[in-house]
Amino acid sequence: MLPFPKFDYAAPTTLREAVSLLCTPGARILAGGTDLLPSLKHRLFEPSLLVSIRRLTELREWEMLPDGGLALGAGLTLQQLSGLPALALYPGLQEACRTVATPTLQGTATIGGNILLESRCLYYNQPVGWRDAIGGCLKCDGSVCHVAPKGKGCYAAHSADTVPTLWLLGAQVELVGPLGVRLVPISALYSGDGLRPMLLQPGEILTRLLLPPPGPPTVHRKLRTRAAIDYGLLLVAASRSQSGYRAVVSAVGPAPIEVRGESPEDLAEAAFRAVQPLGTHAPAPTWRKKVLRVEVRRAAESLKEG
Amino acid sequence: MSGRWHAGEEAVVVGHSGPKIDGMARITGQALFVDDLRLPRMVHAKFLRSPFPHAWIRSIDLSAALALPGVVGSMVGEEIPRKYGAIPVCQDETALAIGKVRYVGEPVVCIAAEDEETALRACRLVRVEYEPLPTILSIDEALDPARPAIHHDSRKPSNVLRRVSQDYGDVEKGFAEADLIVEESYDYPGSTHVPLESHGALAVWEADGRLKLWTSTQNPHYVHRDIARVLGLEAAQVRLIKPAVGAGYGGKCDPFCTELCASYLAKKLGRPVKIILDREEVFYAHRGRHPVRMWLKMGFRNDGSITAIDFKAQADGGAYSSYGVVTSYYLGVFMTLPYRLQNYRFESQRLYTNKPPCGPKRGHGAIQPRFALELHLEKAAQLLKIPADELRLRNIVAPDTETCNGLKVGSVGMEECIRAVVKSSGYAEKKGKLGPGRGIGIAASAYMCGALHPTYQNELFHSGVMIKVDRSGDVCLFSGTADIGQGSIHMLATLCAERLGLRPEQVRVVEGDTSLTPVDLGSYSSRVTFMAGNACVEAADKVRARLFAAAAKKLKVEDAALQAAEGFIFVKSEPTQKISFVDAVWLAEEAGPLVEAGGYTPPKIGNRFRRQSVGPSPAYSFTAQVAEVEVDEETGIIRVERIWVAHDCGRALNRTIVEGQLEGCVYMGVGEALYEEQAYRKGGILRAPSILEYKIPTLHETPEIHSIIVESHEEGGPFGAKEAGEGPQLSTVPAIAAALQDATGIWLRDPPFTPEKILKALERHRAPLS
Repeated sequence: MLPFPKFDYAAPTTLREAVSLLCTPGARILAGGTDLLPSLKHRLFEPSLLVSIRRLTELREWEMLPDGGLALGAGLTLQQLSGLPALALYPGLQEACRTVATPTLQGTATIGGNILLESRCLYYNQPVGWRDAIGGCLKCDGSVCHVAPKGKGCYAAHSADTVPTLWLLGAQVELVGPLGVRLVPISALYSGDGLRPMLLQPGEILTRLLLPPPGPPTVHRKLRTRAAIDYGLLLVAASRSQSGYRAVVSAVGPAPIEVRGESPEDLAEAAFRAVQPLGTHAPAPTWRKKVLRVEVRRAAESLKEG
Repeated sequence: MSGRWHAGEEAVVVGHSGPKIDGMARITGQALFVDDLRLPRMVHAKFLRSPFPHAWIRSIDLSAALALPGVVGSMVGEEIPRKYGAIPVCQDETALAIGKVRYVGEPVVCIAAEDEETALRACRLVRVEYEPLPTILSIDEALDPARPAIHHDSRKPSNVLRRVSQDYGDVEKGFAEADLIVEESYDYPGSTHVPLESHGALAVWEADGRLKLWTSTQNPHYVHRDIARVLGLEAAQVRLIKPAVGAGYGGKCDPFCTELCASYLAKKLGRPVKIILDREEVFYAHRGRHPVRMWLKMGFRNDGSITAIDFKAQADGGAYSSYGVVTSYYLGVFMTLPYRLQNYRFESQRLYTNKPPCGPKRGHGAIQPRFALELHLEKAAQLLKIPADELRLRNIVAPDTETCNGLKVGSVGMEECIRAVVKSSGYAEKKGKLGPGRGIGIAASAYMCGALHPTYQNELFHSGVMIKVDRSGDVCLFSGTADIGQGSIHMLATLCAERLGLRPEQVRVVEGDTSLTPVDLGSYSSRVTFMAGNACVEAADKVRARLFAAAAKKLKVEDAALQAAEGFIFVKSEPTQKISFVDAVWLAEEAGPLVEAGGYTPPKIGNRFRRQSVGPSPAYSFTAQVAEVEVDEETGIIRVERIWVAHDCGRALNRTIVEGQLEGCVYMGVGEALYEEQAYRKGGILRAPSILEYKIPTLHETPEIHSIIVESHEEGGPFGAKEAGEGPQLSTVPAIAAALQDATGIWLRDPPFTPEKILKALERHRAPLS
């Protein structure tokens, strides 16, 4: 078994205390831990302090908002979330929750953790001996991006299953930090830089996810090698309104990409033109690009009958 | 040897279904694996491994590592200079690299500390200066004489470990007689075992000055011998114990650095040392399936009979030999089964490259050529316009025959297997008729039931079993076998219970302990049921004879009038005349302690070809499979929907375990067909040493498996049993390849059949001919 690096641990009971602890240099938040703990074991980062949110009970609450939308505590597990009766009105989101990893991990992983999932790459999410052998990478212990050696940045892929759908739904997140509370649309949360993929301020905690009232249905498709465990090779969410089709595609770069089109074919072509998958995943980028067109078209087609 | 189980007597325990006697301990966590064991003052050791595929080690500076608080000690390669290896004729590996590293991940330094985390951190503080050398990463590079020899210090430096060339009958004449000649090249990828439990060892030097070593191994006996030799000890100074093992699939046949370094450091530090590999390290320990490049030419008459086979195979073996010499023979030897063949020629080479060493993996050396041969038959069947099942049926070897390369075959259930899968799958009705993107395919295969020759030359028994019974009624069976999850404990308990009239759970099995248990050569070559099973029956029959003699005296009948069942010994003709098993033991003990032993030595099966020492087996198993697949022609994604597998295992001693083995073989075959590849990126670095990226099927990707047990009676097997642990995997991949061809029209001759490959091939297939 891989041992953990040494770290301090705190489990504050108030949000204020949690925020203050998170302002400690080297502190990191621990929610479900399903992504964080393996990353620690792989020595992707070695925080001095883990601040657990498990005693912040308010993060596991949810309520219906006066406008008919939902406010969901960020500490709800994906299983709790997908099991809420109200979530049937957001079928794409429900489906997305159920495609994360495995049912066991869905019972531990939180929605907040999924929204803030660290970006992933074939050259980054690897054991430490292997990373030493390739000399590290831009995101960890190295100076070269193996995906794009001549490029300027890090292209580690945004891989959060729930985000493409949340983006289409127009969801917002509530962030509580040392300077107060702010609301940020999901679509404005990601920087596009694989090194620091989330636009969070130091000490900020994602406390709630705010969904607008149910609108036109969204669909979620996840392309992966195996039907469980695996992260997505492509994540596609699509919706349809009077003005046409929209899709949000992810797992193709540090941030999701939105495209629009008048028909499923048109939408697929727009995605094909806008998105360039890279070598962040094992299958060849050329194959992922071809399949992207198929996946987007199929997502949109499945909305036709709705 | 035959008739030992008194044909005519009905088996009571043998042939039933039901859980293993050790199953509950495993699923409740009571079974103890190496990592569960803890000793007072125990320390943990970790390895620093090479980041270079091929380099001189110029210097090693341990000072910073040793200064870390909590570090207890260290060792470098020179401290165990003797070379180790699975096969005595080619031992070429040292516990830690000495002077030179030969693959990325090779262990260089071992550091012990109070806890694993400290040992790991200390390893990263070691400064090693390397001087990189040109690397040999492919078959072609290994064959290039201009490249440096990876084993520069061997007697005849060369990157060719072994070349085997054999010729039987008259191949050219066979081709001249052929109406159709089919010739193709195939590439089978390397893959690794992915046992649930990683390799691990715990060593302690006891107060009596002897070494006690617990290790997760498949071959306690061979490993025991080699560990003692390399450490310069008398074998009797070492007690090797195999605790519960979480699978091997061939990956735990060799001696390993874990065992050597834990033993050495335990002596050096005067404290028990535990070493458990992490998952990344298991990928470096490897000993997995050899990537093999193959060329196959076959001649057929119009009636489908095979006139000749010419076969060449080149195996990319990695940096050390492991079982590679044996592999080079296995690549060719089973091509003469299960089809009649008079003219056969094969040539193989096993090469050194700068990668983790390849070795035995389930179906050792036979999986790759079987893939080529069976897909070749599919092609030939289409060209000859003979159904693929029919082509096979026309060519099956007869029972009790000898193949052109001298394999002596006893029972052959091949025809029943083919007919069973064809019938239950509806193959004939479905072939070519399932519609776009759906297809069905068939393949067949044969495999050995135990290697006839041990890895070191000797004439002694291959399996020993000792049974001790006492007046308490306790039956304890001692065997040097290694249950690694496959069920050999239950197999032994079943056979013993059958002969003594007990239930399997009334037999305790102590196994895999080189001090307590009689020698058994280990869990490899599908030998355990056949060989240890026979030894067990012999030991049990000796106990039975003594019990019967005592009972006969008491019941005033002849021994031959007795039968044992359900805890009693009774008169066959008058079952109410009986005594209990415990009473019979009491009476038998009047003649002294009731301890008996049995052994199995394979029959001296002469082989006309003296060079053929690898491959001959006392018996052969047979399998047929049908696979049904669905292909998404827009994405290339393939799904194996269903597999029908029929296997001739001789007599099924426990049907549940046999079915489990069939399912396990199919599962592993599906992994190799669709996902698995021990692939390297530039610089000889594994593409992904983790089980997130090295994809093995989950339950979702595992097809619906229809297991069909075909029973033949093998004269020399215990109760007629053969094997079920490896043979059934051989035909999975070619059946899937044939189904893929039926579904799409494309021929893929290089597994794994990834969506990328399928889509590319479909695009070429669809492209208008220009």
